[in-house]
Amino acid sequence: MSNWTGLWTIVKREMVRTFSIINQVIWPPVITTLLYVLVFGYGIGSKITNVKGLSYAEFLIPGLIMLQVIDQTYGESSSSFFQGRFMNSIQELLIAPLSAYEIVTGYILSGIARAMFIAVIITVIGIVFVHTGPINYALYALVIVLVAILFSSLGLVFGMMAEKFDHIAMLTTFAITPLVFVGGVFNPKSFLPPVLQQISMFNPMFHMIDAFRYSYSARGDAPLALSLSVVAILATLATALALTMTARGYKLRA
Amino acid sequence: MAPAIKIDRLVKRYGDFTAVDDISLEVEEGAFFGLLGPNGAGKTTTINAIVGLAKITAGSIALFGHDVVHDWRAARGFVGLAPQEYNFDRYLNIRDVLIYQAGYYGLAGPAVRRRADDLLERFSLTSKAKQVYTRLSGGMKRRLTLARALMHQPRLLILDEPTAGVDVELRIELWAFLREMNAAGTTIVLTTHYLEEASELCERIAIIEAGKIVALEDTQKLIGSRSLQDVFLELTRR
Repeated sequence: MSNWTGLWTIVKREMVRTFSIINQVIWPPVITTLLYVLVFGYGIGSKITNVKGLSYAEFLIPGLIMLQVIDQTYGESSSSFFQGRFMNSIQELLIAPLSAYEIVTGYILSGIARAMFIAVIITVIGIVFVHTGPINYALYALVIVLVAILFSSLGLVFGMMAEKFDHIAMLTTFAITPLVFVGGVFNPKSFLPPVLQQISMFNPMFHMIDAFRYSYSARGDAPLALSLSVVAILATLATALALTMTARGYKLRA
Repeated sequence: MAPAIKIDRLVKRYGDFTAVDDISLEVEEGAFFGLLGPNGAGKTTTINAIVGLAKITAGSIALFGHDVVHDWRAARGFVGLAPQEYNFDRYLNIRDVLIYQAGYYGLAGPAVRRRADDLLERFSLTSKAKQVYTRLSGGMKRRLTLARALMHQPRLLILDEPTAGVDVELRIELWAFLREMNAAGTTIVLTTHYLEEASELCERIAIIEAGKIVALEDTQKLIGSRSLQDVFLELTRR
């Protein structure tokens, strides 16, 4: 890899895009989180007095951060790449002396930056409104980075495969949203029936949320090493797939 | 000295359809070369193979001695492409379109910003520098396409229908600019449907029909005492 300026230009371009559509990318997750905190944390949550030694609102915050990080990272990566294909502006990258590694790394780094930005805003909301914040910042950053790598890469893969915006939404509608919602954002595993508790161990979103929750409360429903391993393996596989498809020019080079 | 472009037995197939069928040609450095042919003849496919937008089925292409597949990074650095379709980044103003384009080629810093400003000035786009391309007129977009292709100071400039849809005044202005570029040493490959444009600008012309080269000659030799239109119609009549 040698075109570092080119790679950095991709990151800058993605950041320009993010902030030029801030009402679509940044504010919705922030507003949605505030509403979740208000309705579920303070409203319904006030009836639940203790969740693994925490108030319900405290329990909720790390799950909400993961929910928004996953949703926005995939959504932006996929829509930006697909739009580039749709408008042919991706050709600017394809004819330049940029390798597949540089293109994919550029999109992933911008995905990480976007995820970190959203996570920090929601973290501040948690500190201000719920008086809870991370206690292990290294783990906090590690999980966000791994999850952002995974979903930026998946975004690229689906951005390459999609023929219309509707195809991009399929992963969100039929996989990401359902799996995140049953993956422990709103409830600990122990609240589920025993059969679902077993099944949830096979839900990758459960491991992302559970690993992230360790950074807030130093406790979770599964061993931290297991959850981190699951997320790291999935991130590696997704990145390898995105790299392979980009290097082969899948639906990029005729 | 290696030629600017050396295409050796290039074949490009899409499934059962052969878009480019075993073509070979060389373009010398500093030449003004015309690639002509009717719609669907294989001109754009050939250009796409040169710049890396199309995968080569068989054969090879080298730019200034660098193979576009095996030594792609060096080869791509030599080329500036002005495509027929507008494919600018809609999230950047047009000054940033130029600056980011240079960035993709590994260039950054004050010199790049100065070059962007110079090109905006040269193409009378300075007043629109902070606007996105969708706000430009057709002629302005066409000029921006050329400015973007020139940002990294390519040795080879490929122009796919550079004057399509522009008025006569701008066309003549662009011709003068292209002659100036060529005189300064830039190799230019031009595809156009305006045969008058090709005969006016190009020293050498290849005519492609159904993926094959049916003529490859110095312009004057090809035309002889006839018009390029007569020659073109004779060679491409299906």
